[in-house]
Amino acid sequence: MSAKRSSINRPPTPDVDRDRENQEPTLQEIINIKMIESGEKERLKELLRERLIECGWRDEMKSLCRAYTRKKGRNNVTVDDLVHVITPKGRASVPDPVKAELLQRIRSFLASTAT
Amino acid sequence: MSLTNDDNMSAHSQVSSHFFEDLLDSIIVDVASECHRVARLGLDRNFEEEEEELRLSAQARARVADSSNNGETNSKYVVDIFGQTHPPVANEIFECMNCGRSIVAGRFAPHLEKCMGKGRKARLKVTRSATAAQNRYTRGSPGSSYSSYSNSTGMNRLSNGASSGVAGEEYSNGSFEEL
Repeated sequence: MSAKRSSINRPPTPDVDRDRENQEPTLQEIINIKMIESGEKERLKELLRERLIECGWRDEMKSLCRAYTRKKGRNNVTVDDLVHVITPKGRASVPDPVKAELLQRIRSFLASTAT
Repeated sequence: MSLTNDDNMSAHSQVSSHFFEDLLDSIIVDVASECHRVARLGLDRNFEEEEEELRLSAQARARVADSSNNGETNSKYVVDIFGQTHPPVANEIFECMNCGRSIVAGRFAPHLEKCMGKGRKARLKVTRSATAAQNRYTRGSPGSSYSSYSNSTGMNRLSNGASSGVAGEEYSNGSFEEL
């Protein structure tokens, strides 16, 4: 799996080799930690998952995966392949109302914990 | 942080979008991981049939498009009293509402049989999101196979996806009728 999965993104302990992180953690990181610690990230993820199932997005992605699997052969596919297959279409085909709802929730969380 | 209101707004929306992308990527990885598992374990019951169905579908389409057909020898290809002829293979192409494939009308019924649940294979299908149609059919089927479906394969599959499990329970508890 790539190093992009930074769901636990705590500020690393100060390290002479990584002076970039010696400063205060970025806003992004602070928010991420708050989201995780309050449980909001998990709730939002479940909400997004549910909405994407309801609107058929998940089925679309699965059918893309099946088509790719048929082409490549059942035992020749890797998770990485499939991620690359569905990421562009997946990101583009999230319905606007779903995206709006999630962004709304995120923004209100930010507002309620605004520094 | 001594940011102006505007800076705050754009920083916030940047953070929000970034966070949303993060959630979405995480869900994409989940879907890919599950499809990978299904593919490697051979859990997709329809998988071998898909080749066959696509081939038959393409065949039917070819027969429809072929204008030089030998309709004279086909007994169904008659002229009715209005002078209309009915081609032996229905030539509309539909999208199956269950699996999303495009199927020629002439092959639609056999496809639906396999896809929606007359047969044993269809009822054992595991690659389902929580669709009301699927649950509706399992409710209507004979007692023994219903209980085995819901106790083992079906419910386990449905409850593996976190929120789809909830939706599935709801529907199959009996009150949800419409599609």
